[in-house]
Amino acid sequence: MKMFARTVLAGMATLMLAAPAQAQTTYNIASLADFTGPYADVMKDLNGARHSAVAWWNAEVGKDLGVQLKMKDYDHRYDAAQVASLWPGIKAELNPIIALGVGAPDATALQGRLPADGIPLIMSTAGYGFGWKSDPWVFNPRSTYAHEAAAFLEWYRKQNNVSGALKVAVFSSEASPAYVDIAKGLRKYADENKATIDLVEIVYTEVQPTDLTTQVNRVLNKGAQVLDVQTNTAAVVAVKRALQALNKKVPIVMSSHNGITASASAIGGIANLEGDYEVYGMAMPTDENTKSRQFYEKLKSQYGMKGGWTVPTVMGLNQTLVALRAVEAAAKKSGAANVTGRGVREALLSTTITSEQTFEILSDVKYTNDAPFPTTGATVNIGIVKGGKYITAAPGVPVPQIGKW
Amino acid sequence: MSEFLNYTINGALIGLLYALIAMGFIVIYRASKVFNFAQGELVVFGGFVVWWMITSIGLPYWIGIPLAFVAAALFGFAIERIFFSRLVGESVFAMVMVTIGLLILLRGLILVLFGPQVRPFPIIFPLQPVIIGDILIPRSLFIGGMITIVVGLGLSWFFNRTRPGLRMTAVAEDHQVAVSMGISVKRSVAFAWILGSVLSTLGAIIFLSGKSVSFLASEIGLAALPVALLAGFESIAGVLLAGIIVGIIQGLVMAYVDPVIGGSVGNVFPFIIMLVILFIRPTGMFGWKMVERV
Repeated sequence: MKMFARTVLAGMATLMLAAPAQAQTTYNIASLADFTGPYADVMKDLNGARHSAVAWWNAEVGKDLGVQLKMKDYDHRYDAAQVASLWPGIKAELNPIIALGVGAPDATALQGRLPADGIPLIMSTAGYGFGWKSDPWVFNPRSTYAHEAAAFLEWYRKQNNVSGALKVAVFSSEASPAYVDIAKGLRKYADENKATIDLVEIVYTEVQPTDLTTQVNRVLNKGAQVLDVQTNTAAVVAVKRALQALNKKVPIVMSSHNGITASASAIGGIANLEGDYEVYGMAMPTDENTKSRQFYEKLKSQYGMKGGWTVPTVMGLNQTLVALRAVEAAAKKSGAANVTGRGVREALLSTTITSEQTFEILSDVKYTNDAPFPTTGATVNIGIVKGGKYITAAPGVPVPQIGKW
Repeated sequence: MSEFLNYTINGALIGLLYALIAMGFIVIYRASKVFNFAQGELVVFGGFVVWWMITSIGLPYWIGIPLAFVAAALFGFAIERIFFSRLVGESVFAMVMVTIGLLILLRGLILVLFGPQVRPFPIIFPLQPVIIGDILIPRSLFIGGMITIVVGLGLSWFFNRTRPGLRMTAVAEDHQVAVSMGISVKRSVAFAWILGSVLSTLGAIIFLSGKSVSFLASEIGLAALPVALLAGFESIAGVLLAGIIVGIIQGLVMAYVDPVIGGSVGNVFPFIIMLVILFIRPTGMFGWKMVERV
């Protein structure tokens, strides 16, 4: 009986001592999403990844720090005007310490006012040349698309022992400033590396091309050895169909938003993309047993992950993990009760988010005040369809330096 | 020289595809004086129905395609019954506003019915191009061009030589006069929407064969607009010529101007033509000249 009383008293004392540590400060994250616009098809995965990552962080990291995060979704239909219209309401309703974006409309609508609002915005995409400005408030966890493509081209040239310059054709579209930016960045890279890269032509098409047989035939006649298509899946399908019509096998390189799995689904099967590549600076959702995959499985089994193991899920995870680690660093520095948007931004600029902290979804992320994306130490992963299977062709390929464009 | 011919022929064939889509605009305009802003969405709807019939359900082409046309016809009829039959006699502005609403509604409806994913469109026409010497012609555009010419000439004959076609032409001139002559305006408008919807599905088949279908496909509606304006909104046969002219100019600009200036002037050029036409000849090349006696 005595023993029982002692145990009860000890338990009560422990609870009383622990009580102050249970005090949690709650902060908000604004989750900008596109549920009814052009990227509605990927939003279930991307947004599902965001929510499950926040749930994981609250349970396994925030609890000990005394910080809890709440996230609310806002549908902006991938429209800059809609983002600009929603933002004052988001600020008034949520007062977020950080926001998660989808793409260029978020950045273009908000980059001018974020410094005054004191709220950093984290994207999931690669960076853009037009956003390459100092003192950033919009952060991309990856280098620019042009940097990522350049990393692939250098790797491909070495891998295939190309002695002279590798001849490349870019298929772009003026439908989006981001697409034009990729082409401009690759033009700059080619101009700086004439001995190794020959950009034979930039072909501008519609976003849903009618037919590209003539254009593909033209660039092949100019000797193109690689076709860069980083716009959308419709363009990948059109270029591939043109190659099939011409009975030519020249590899296509894609990006994350129009990668192998998405394009395979749009063309009717992965076999159509045999020998084609994708490149981006984050984990690839292949069947291989990687740390990233293990983290995803954990989120799925314990934290209600709704997304599949797909590129949009990895994109959702990459931005959310960067945001969460930045909040974590800010809370450690200023105390759980004193986290602000400005403090989170300071943490982003002063802390290296290691690859281990993102479960190898990203390489080490180190921001400087000179660019909204990592300019040194970034790497990309390269995927390929080989024997009808989607596999990693090369992990951790270094991203080359390119001057501003 | 062969390169020039290549671009010219391919441009003409793409122009004929635009002409086919523009015919959808024209048949609806002729019957109801309504410019249908949702024409591109009708193409997307037709494309998704074909995908659903053939790829999703797995019907053979010879059953799936005719069924898709039937579905498109019913859909066009439903649009007319639900929205436009009540608007006979109302202002053109009201009707145009309804087509803008229809555009938004169709996008939502497609999202609900078929989901937001990009879908693989079946390969209706063989991928292998037609090769004549050094000239290389995509087979889908080649067959599509032939179909467009046959359809265009057939519709032109229908509207100018058959009784139901002439009744629709009378409706196109003036609803009240047509009614006073005992012609059912509602029936003519319904038939125009059925025809416009079926033509959009045919356009989707030629445009998307072997590619993918998503909302982006609706942009072809916008690309076809300069063709309809160049022809004038009343002439079916004229739209064939207008399509060829716009297509060739666009093809040559894309081939010879775009690489030089490093941009996509080719995609903008048809709209420059459109603006010039609106300045010089608002009724287009073959549009009706209305003579009003006061």
